[in-house]
Amino acid sequence: MATLSIGLFSSLVGSMNADVAIKLAEAAANKGHTINLWFSGNATTLAKKGQKPFKDYSHLKDMLKALQEKGVLIGVCEACAAARGIHKEDVMEGISVHSMDWYVAKVAQSDRVLHIGKE
Amino acid sequence: MGVFLSEWRENEEILGRLKAEKIGVFLVENAVYHAVIKSPLIEKQNRDYYVLTEDLQTRGFTACDVDNINVVTYDNLVDLMMNDYEKLIWL
Repeated sequence: MATLSIGLFSSLVGSMNADVAIKLAEAAANKGHTINLWFSGNATTLAKKGQKPFKDYSHLKDMLKALQEKGVLIGVCEACAAARGIHKEDVMEGISVHSMDWYVAKVAQSDRVLHIGKE
Repeated sequence: MGVFLSEWRENEEILGRLKAEKIGVFLVENAVYHAVIKSPLIEKQNRDYYVLTEDLQTRGFTACDVDNINVVTYDNLVDLMMNDYEKLIWL
């Protein structure tokens, strides 16, 4: 089994990038791979707790929780989140807030890296 | 090199200029339209093209609407990423 790190830069609103990132992470985790999921830039908004789910869209909180139950590590860029008014106490349970060096270390240990989306 | 193309009518020039010993192009999100309309984009030789079935279905298409392109699931995509393409980029 291999390690895959996925860096996501797009938010849920206005883009389907997050949908692909999460489903890809889920499929890879189901195959037994080790997955690191990193939210940076606008993707840090995905980690905020208390979001009202869209009526016609998957409930992100449940999807992220399911990923965590499969062992997926989810990290959020501290500086990007803070720039958007999101602090450690605002983040969903189980999601950790880190500086970029956490993610760089994960990338260095990964067999595959995919950065999804743009600001 | 595995290249994810996610948009319609964007990044085509970048995609055309990419060079690697082996290139696989994964059509996801709105880029699946390239597969459906048989876009000139996918006529470039020496590349393998794959289209994500879930994103086809989201837009009302099925594998029957696609010719000569590999239709793949997320499971297939993971295997391709892990086994066939060491470097991955997203356009």
